[in-house]
Amino acid sequence: MLYEEIVDEELAIMDETPDEPSKTLSAHEIQVPLNSLMTPPVTIEMGASTQDAINLMIDRHVGHVLIVSTGILKGIFSERDVLVKILNKPVGNLRQIPVEHFMKADPQTANVKDSLDTAILYMAKGGYRHVPIVDEKNHPVGTVSVRDIISHLVEHFPQDVLTLPPKPIRRAMKSREGA
Amino acid sequence: MMDAHMLSLPISTLNPNQPCSVKVGTTVKEAIRLMQDGRFGCVLVVDAEERLVGIVTERDLLAEITGTGADPNDVIVDDIMTPDPESLHASDPIAFALNLMHLGHYRHVPLVLSDDDSRSDEGGYPVGVISSKDITNHVAVFLEGSKERR
Repeated sequence: MLYEEIVDEELAIMDETPDEPSKTLSAHEIQVPLNSLMTPPVTIEMGASTQDAINLMIDRHVGHVLIVSTGILKGIFSERDVLVKILNKPVGNLRQIPVEHFMKADPQTANVKDSLDTAILYMAKGGYRHVPIVDEKNHPVGTVSVRDIISHLVEHFPQDVLTLPPKPIRRAMKSREGA
Repeated sequence: MMDAHMLSLPISTLNPNQPCSVKVGTTVKEAIRLMQDGRFGCVLVVDAEERLVGIVTERDLLAEITGTGADPNDVIVDDIMTPDPESLHASDPIAFALNLMHLGHYRHVPLVLSDDDSRSDEGGYPVGVISSKDITNHVAVFLEGSKERR
C-alpha cells in the first residue's frame, strides 16, 4: 500500500513540467508578415530560353526563377522542373525552347499582406519549396522559401540551435574507460 | 505545442525518408533515373562497403549537367558529388539538423549508423535522409493543430 503511494508520487513528479520556462513558438509568432522575411524575386521574361533561365538560377544561387510578362507573374521554373522534365529526356536544344514550355503556370502565390503561416501551409499542402509573393496587381515582389523558414526558426531559438557544438556528443559515457 | 523541447527530440520523430543510394562509379544518368522514379531530391553515394562517401543533389545536376551541357551518360556520380557530406544519427536532436541546414545551407542531411568504435561519422552506413521540407512540414502540422483549437 505504502509502496504504491510512493510509486504514484514518483510518477506524478515525472509528469511535472520543469520549472525553467521553455521558450515556445506560438502560432502568433509564425504570423509574422511575409515582407519581413521574403527575399527579392529573381525574374526572367516570357520568351527567354530555358538555358538562360537555368544559367540565371546558377549565377544567382537560387533554386527557382519567376517568369513574368510586362511585370505580371506568369509562372515559376525550379530545380525540380529541371530534374523531372528535362534531365534524361530527349527535349532538344534548351537554347531554343522558351522557359514557359517547362514552367509551372499560375503558381500558388501569397499576398504581401499575408503572414508566414499562410505560406508554410501552402508549401505543405502543395509540396512546394518556394512561394512567390505578389502585390494586388500580381507583380512579384518577393519569394519565401523553405530555407527562409528554417532561418526564421533558427533565429527564434538561437540559444538552442546556434550555440550547439558542430557534432552531437554521443559517446561521452562510452569513451570513459574505468571509473 | 512547438517549443525548444521539440528541438531536443530525436530526428527520427520527423519520420525521415529512406535513403536513395548508388555505388561510386554509377553514371549520373542512372542517378537521375532513381531520383525521378522515387521523387528524391538527392542521392547518396556509397563505397563498396556501403559506407557514405558523397551526396548528389538537384543543385549539382543543375550546375554540372544542364549548366554545362554534359551528357549524364558520360559522367559518373563521383565527378559531381559533394564528398564526405555532413551527417547525423537518427537519434540526434532535431536542433543539430536545423543547425546544419542553416549554417551549411544544406537542404538534405544524410542520417547514418556508425561503427561503435569510430568516434567520427565519416564513412557511416546511410539509414535515412532528413530534409528542410520535413521540418517545415512538421511546423505546418503544428499550425493546422493550433488552428483547429482556436
